[in-house]
Amino acid sequence: MLDVNGLRKTYRGQGREVEAVRDLTFGLGEGELACLVGPSGCGKTTLLKCVSGLMRPTAGTVALDGRPVDGPPPDMAVVFQEYGRSLFPWLTVRGNVELPLKEKRLPKARRRELVEESLEAVGLAHAASLHPWELSGGMQQRVAIARAIAYEPRVLLMDEPFAAVDAQTRADLEDLIRGLWKRFSMTVLFVTHDIDEAVYLGERVIVLSSSPTVVQDDVRVDLPEERDQLTTRSAPRFAELRALVYREIQNAKNGDGGAGRTGAAGGPAGTDGPDREPTATGGAR
Amino acid sequence: MSVRALPRAAARVLLLPAALIALWWWAAAASDSFYLTDPGTIAATFAQVWVSERFAADVLPSVGLLLTGYALAAALGIGMGVPLGLSPRLRAFAEPVLEFLRAVPPPVLVPLLILLVGLDASMRAAVIVSGCVWPVLLNTVEGVRAVDPVLADTCRVYGVRGRRRLTVLVLRSASPQIAAGLRQALSIAIILMVISEMFASSSGLGFAIVQFQRGFAIPEMWSGIVLLGLLGVVLSVVFARAERRALAWHRGLRAASRGE
Repeated sequence: MLDVNGLRKTYRGQGREVEAVRDLTFGLGEGELACLVGPSGCGKTTLLKCVSGLMRPTAGTVALDGRPVDGPPPDMAVVFQEYGRSLFPWLTVRGNVELPLKEKRLPKARRRELVEESLEAVGLAHAASLHPWELSGGMQQRVAIARAIAYEPRVLLMDEPFAAVDAQTRADLEDLIRGLWKRFSMTVLFVTHDIDEAVYLGERVIVLSSSPTVVQDDVRVDLPEERDQLTTRSAPRFAELRALVYREIQNAKNGDGGAGRTGAAGGPAGTDGPDREPTATGGAR
Repeated sequence: MSVRALPRAAARVLLLPAALIALWWWAAAASDSFYLTDPGTIAATFAQVWVSERFAADVLPSVGLLLTGYALAAALGIGMGVPLGLSPRLRAFAEPVLEFLRAVPPPVLVPLLILLVGLDASMRAAVIVSGCVWPVLLNTVEGVRAVDPVLADTCRVYGVRGRRRLTVLVLRSASPQIAAGLRQALSIAIILMVISEMFASSSGLGFAIVQFQRGFAIPEMWSGIVLLGLLGVVLSVVFARAERRALAWHRGLRAASRGE
């Protein structure tokens, strides 16, 4: 349902061009939870901004349900990394979650229902009348997630949402995301630099190369549907997948574009590469 | 604060004013200048002069003028500051002219405005506006320019635009800066109110003070100065209260980010 085709983004500054994203092609199926992982500075945020319609790509297209994205689409929500700066400090938690619904012109009763349901889903029903700055970092990010869910998006984009919270909060939030994904049946694209997180969360991990960025590999995560921090993370299959993704990222850093697709992968044959969507470029160009 | 600490707090606040008044009293007693009136006489004159029909004739029109000019300047400053803050092109276009106009000292406009507008209250309000609008305008421009890009992206993603974007995002996030501009403008407004009344008026506080001075009614002149000081204090207290209310979120946010 979400198709990124030949996406390219170059920044122009002081007479020289910087190519942040060279050529990205991938697709997400309806209801898929995919993680996008890559070495730092590989243009993950640029990619996400192009996908969300906040930024115009230099070349290539992004399409949602076949319709080209040239501005933020109405059925897409984004959770930003900077939770402290994406919530309105002058609005209460309820006000923050309700604001997009007002813009959608939903009737008051429906708005209240959605706000209550989404705050309950992230475990913040008690905090509705507080201001964001009265909450801890992890709770603030929960508010941002509740706002995204209340919006009833078909696609949820998340840009390293847990990069700035502590490890324990992070584990809780990861489980929260998987729970919400199942409960609200959205398509989720989750950008992260954390390999463990990508493997733990995703049904699929798209590995990006370093800048200029191409798709290095596309790994299907064949872990069981029900995951939890203890058993999933200590499962042998988790370790294999993690090693596979790790190696791919190392290859990406060394400029060994796409070699991992055939040889270097540690996992058994058939686990790397997507099985739902045709994903063309391995980056060998 | 406990009941016992109350007198101590009051003493701390009142100590310096009491010392200054005592010093003044001593200076007035030691000097034989006709123009230096002692505080006791000023206090007695104050009650006599201002608790009378003069309050309605001079004080109320002055305060009305002040508030009218101030409100107009605030509306104009915010109204022009928002589009200027939002549009870099508009800023580049208008900035040189604004810099020039800002550099002109407002009191020199009084003779000009007397010719253009006439000797009435609208001319005096125009003088106040011409001086007060700048801090409001410039602070609004800066505040609007400094809107957090992540919040702006958030608004775009969730389709918050038009009037709601203006009220929920732009004005609210610029409000601490706008308040700083309004606070500066308030003290300018008092100065310009007095100056405009001294130049061109037949009533008002500024007029009354000049009239007392010309008639050598020195204690009366002093009492007018004291009244202006008190007016300034009352206005700034009222302003601080309103600001505390409107910007409670801002104080909370700052306290929270300091605590982390």
